[in-house]
Amino acid sequence: MSMFFSILLSGLITDNMVMMRTLGICPFLGVSKKLESGLGMGLAVTFVLVLASVVCYVLYYYVLAPLSLVYLQTIVFILIIAVLVQVLDIVLKKLSPALYASLGVYLALITTNCVVLFTANNVISQGFNILGAFVNAVAVGLGFTLALLLMAGIRERLDRAALPKSVQGLPIALITAGIMALAFMGLKGLFGG
Amino acid sequence: MPIFLTYIMPVLLIGGIGGVVAVLLAFLGEKMAVDRDARIDDIERFLPGANCGGCGRAGCSAMAEALFSGEASVTECGPLSPENKNNILRILELPLADSQRTVAVVHCIGGRACKDKFDYQGYGDCKSAELLAGGNKQCSLGCIGLSACVDECKYNAITVDKRTGVARVSYEYCASCGACVAECPKKIIGRIPVDAVVYVACSNTKTGKEVASVCKKGCIACGRCEKNCPTGAIALNNNLAAIDYGRCIKCGNCADVCPRKCILPFPYEKPFIET
Repeated sequence: MSMFFSILLSGLITDNMVMMRTLGICPFLGVSKKLESGLGMGLAVTFVLVLASVVCYVLYYYVLAPLSLVYLQTIVFILIIAVLVQVLDIVLKKLSPALYASLGVYLALITTNCVVLFTANNVISQGFNILGAFVNAVAVGLGFTLALLLMAGIRERLDRAALPKSVQGLPIALITAGIMALAFMGLKGLFGG
Repeated sequence: MPIFLTYIMPVLLIGGIGGVVAVLLAFLGEKMAVDRDARIDDIERFLPGANCGGCGRAGCSAMAEALFSGEASVTECGPLSPENKNNILRILELPLADSQRTVAVVHCIGGRACKDKFDYQGYGDCKSAELLAGGNKQCSLGCIGLSACVDECKYNAITVDKRTGVARVSYEYCASCGACVAECPKKIIGRIPVDAVVYVACSNTKTGKEVASVCKKGCIACGRCEKNCPTGAIALNNNLAAIDYGRCIKCGNCADVCPRKCILPFPYEKPFIET
């Protein structure tokens, strides 16, 4: 139980993909202009992460390993992730056109979001069991959502701030991201992470 | 057997996974299909497809939907060509756009002919100067000539004429994007049809006496242009001559009779006339 707790906290904070590992920066900057779309994106990534981790885990241990085809790990994982994103795309278009529109091209770009592939690979290299893989995926997804929400909250305020023209928009967002990453670095080592 | 495991098995595996998920996706796509008007796809085909986001939407696909639902207008798409604009309007069963191209002009020829209120030595452009008692020109609606529009123009179409001290838009390069119109702190840049032959180079709506006391060239609302226009296309409005280009027959009478030479030939084919 304590292991799951430590996985959860490290995924959420001490090993936050965006802040500590600088993975998944594209949607972090692209979809963090509004809180709502940031939350939608975070949950969409979490959904893909959880399914991808579990499916990849099963495929690795029950198909690839017995056939000694583990060298196909990366290509199979990418295939699975791409399919899951397509599923998400189709479902979201039907169920929530507004969210679909606000995510735009970034929804399809979850396919190339390195957080997802990294997490799927990490599950194998860390030797998690299937429950661990599930908790890890949830934690990483929530950590990604947390980073997006923090950023979106700050950027909504930055939009109204009187900034010099040269730093408006992306430059100030990148500076903010840097300062946020520094703040997260201060938590390194907590929870034995 | 090793050949099977080394070469055929991976192909079978990847192919198998691909096949299974393809069937799954096809099934899901069929099941969750969104009813979408075929006309939206037609509109999207005519959009530039660059997904530049210039219209403020997520991409051309989102723009196509907005156009179809009437939330957007075709003019919001900058890169859209005139033919495709009309193609889209045809799909939407809207009246075809007036394909009349416009260009921006600076409605002022004051510059050096306009007296200075003080000697401005401050920082930068017109916007900074405007903050200081409305700029250094005595005319409150005259071109300051400190290049705010020049810096804003993405097409390098604007220069400040050194001789006259007034910004001038080059009609060959102007894309009529409106950046300068919005940027000018005096709001004296406007748009005219590209085939116009005259334009009013003054924006001052004060009385003739007041204008004459600050500027050698400003419109004094004498009304000679109005009287000499054969079609009534030019009229005084608020102490300033205004041209209705729809009725203008391009005779050029107004420019000839203007005593202040502030109705100027366009596109600047003749040099500025010194008084």
